[in-house]
Amino acid sequence: MKRRTLLAALAGAPIASASLAACGTGTGEGPVTLEFWGWGATQKPLVEAWNAAHPEIQVVHTDAGGGDDSAAKLITTTRAGNSPDLALVEYPTLPSLIVAGVAADISDHVAGVEAEYGQGIWNQATFGGQTYGIPQDAGPQCFTYNRARLDELGIDLPSTWTEFADAAEQVKDADPTTRLATFAPAEFGAFAGLAQQSGATWWDGSGISWDVDIAGAESVAVAEFWGDLVDRDLVTAEPILTPEWNSKLIKGQVLSFPAGMWAPGVIAGVAADMAGDWAIAPLPQWTPGDADVAFQGGSAVVVTTDCEHPAEAAAFATWIGTAEEACRIQIREGNYPAATVGQEIALEGDPPDFMTDQEDYWEIAAQIAASTLPESTWGPNVNVASTAFEDAMSAAVTAGAPLTDALETVQEAVVADMQDDGYEVTGR
Amino acid sequence: MSTLPTAARSRRATSGRASSRRWLAPHLFLLPAGLLFLAFLAIPIVYALYLSVRGMRIEDVGPFGLQTETWVGLTNYLQAITDAEFLAGFGRLLVYGVIAVPLTLGGALLFALLLDLPRVRAAQFSRTAIFIPYAVPGVIASLLWGFLCLPSTSPLNWILEQLGLDGVSVLTGGTLYPAIANIAIWSGIGFNMIIIYTSLRGIPDEIYEAARLDGAGERTIAWRIKIPLVAPALVLTGLFSLIGTLQLYGEPTTLRPMTTEISQTWVPLMKIYRDAFARDDIWLASASSVLLAVGTLILSVILLRATQRSAFGGDDRA
Repeated sequence: MKRRTLLAALAGAPIASASLAACGTGTGEGPVTLEFWGWGATQKPLVEAWNAAHPEIQVVHTDAGGGDDSAAKLITTTRAGNSPDLALVEYPTLPSLIVAGVAADISDHVAGVEAEYGQGIWNQATFGGQTYGIPQDAGPQCFTYNRARLDELGIDLPSTWTEFADAAEQVKDADPTTRLATFAPAEFGAFAGLAQQSGATWWDGSGISWDVDIAGAESVAVAEFWGDLVDRDLVTAEPILTPEWNSKLIKGQVLSFPAGMWAPGVIAGVAADMAGDWAIAPLPQWTPGDADVAFQGGSAVVVTTDCEHPAEAAAFATWIGTAEEACRIQIREGNYPAATVGQEIALEGDPPDFMTDQEDYWEIAAQIAASTLPESTWGPNVNVASTAFEDAMSAAVTAGAPLTDALETVQEAVVADMQDDGYEVTGR
Repeated sequence: MSTLPTAARSRRATSGRASSRRWLAPHLFLLPAGLLFLAFLAIPIVYALYLSVRGMRIEDVGPFGLQTETWVGLTNYLQAITDAEFLAGFGRLLVYGVIAVPLTLGGALLFALLLDLPRVRAAQFSRTAIFIPYAVPGVIASLLWGFLCLPSTSPLNWILEQLGLDGVSVLTGGTLYPAIANIAIWSGIGFNMIIIYTSLRGIPDEIYEAARLDGAGERTIAWRIKIPLVAPALVLTGLFSLIGTLQLYGEPTTLRPMTTEISQTWVPLMKIYRDAFARDDIWLASASSVLLAVGTLILSVILLRATQRSAFGGDDRA
């Protein structure tokens, strides 16, 4: 807390002295200095590129921790009145930051920017016609799989979830130590995406009150599907990215990781030696012939309500989201850009290092990104839902209880929390 | 005749100046500690109490209405004590404590007594070896034991598999509590042993000589003399262990990503952390913290009262 205040004071000092100087000489305004919070390897080079090209608006970058950590800090600093001018936020946490008064409505400063994005991606940061952020990267769900092992076992790539279940059975038959996939009970975002793909809308804030439907028929169908696979021991049910899971992945005993488009980078981090073995494919579908997928992860840059230069801040957010130079930096660092121009640039390049054997990597990525579902379905207390989900699903898996019961628990926790906060909630 | 009152007056005056100096000096010395106490203990506690009766409530109607902080009375306390998970956390602490505390203290006492034997060999080496785990940071100890417990990374399982046996999964089912308690025992024995051992070294040799003249063996000396005389140290380590148990957090938090059996609310402190930093409910977290602190205080007082007679009673009689 103290350090943050100090940082804010340091960041504020140049502005103060610059404006004082401007007053004294009476010649225009000095350069504007903005503070920007963002995590990951991509933000620093983006900020450096912007600063080099825009001497009149200088941005100071701080890594204040990943999505969840920095969201918690943003809410605290906003209450204290010293939040940074801009921040990177994940799409699911954006509604909670809007109701907490962190993210400012920047609709007036982003005229025409909408055209730079596909509708589904733009809607991730726009609510009730008001824009609260500029999308930076996107994580449409895809099927990241160990192509070498599937070929070795003679199993076809599943294109529907029914085929996925059959493939899971064939994998187990072909090699009893190996499973096609893992049901990770703590992966809230993954399950939410699969439920959305099957047609669920967990939060709907388009009316005058919130409609919450986490345990609806579509979500229950997804839970039953995975519950059945777990019961038949066709997928393992365990946390992912643990030393245990990583070890199985490296041994070729876990053959796929259905997740956001960032999954190849994660696998590369766990098993760099397997470069060339893995590939991406469109996520299996509930109905043959469909192509719809939801997002899992991805982030936008918001301007905070504490920012005194929202126009300049919005210009920076727009540039790092949509400028060609910025998109090239994102691709180089392993992001999949949210802007259409960035996705076109990606098409021209070589596949990422970990997927060098998949010549059509970027074509498949573009094809997946083009069929993302158009609506955002996140509510103001995603944090309550995700924490309740992780515990309820983990408990269900441990006890061998139906996964659908866990969904009911989450629904109840989310509705109760929203009513406690004073929201009107319809549905149940 | 006239000098006497003057002298008396001046004496009074001097004593008045002196007493004000006497009053000033200790308070000046107290000032740094007092300020630190105020800034880092009293004010935060008052602030936590203040937060615990506040909460966020929505101000405007509509799905994206802003929330503001308001007075909510004892709602947070009510929510905390009626929360089944919060209470279940204390139940889990009990199971953990029943395993960890007696084994830690028993082990520490045993090692201290062994090291205190007259003809013990390699005492210094053994003392250091037993103490070293305490120097390993808790998170690192938990990661280390976590890797040893997971089937795919455990050397024990590798050996079992080479022998054609089934591997065991330690972080699930009935072995979860012993696995977590094991980490605390492993790192706690050394620390507690040092306290008890230091207390043992303070016992005068004449007592042992007298006991030996009376025909007591080492076992009798340990049981009849050493243990009663180090009772204050045992109470102290018991108190540390009790508070440590109530503050259990690091080990289960570090192990949580490795197993589905540890929830985010597994022990009270984990739930407080989740409420404050994952659910942004700093108000409920404050109320729960106050409850945990008061509970710890009450338990400590009960423990001290219950053991006072046996541990410190000797001083009163003397």
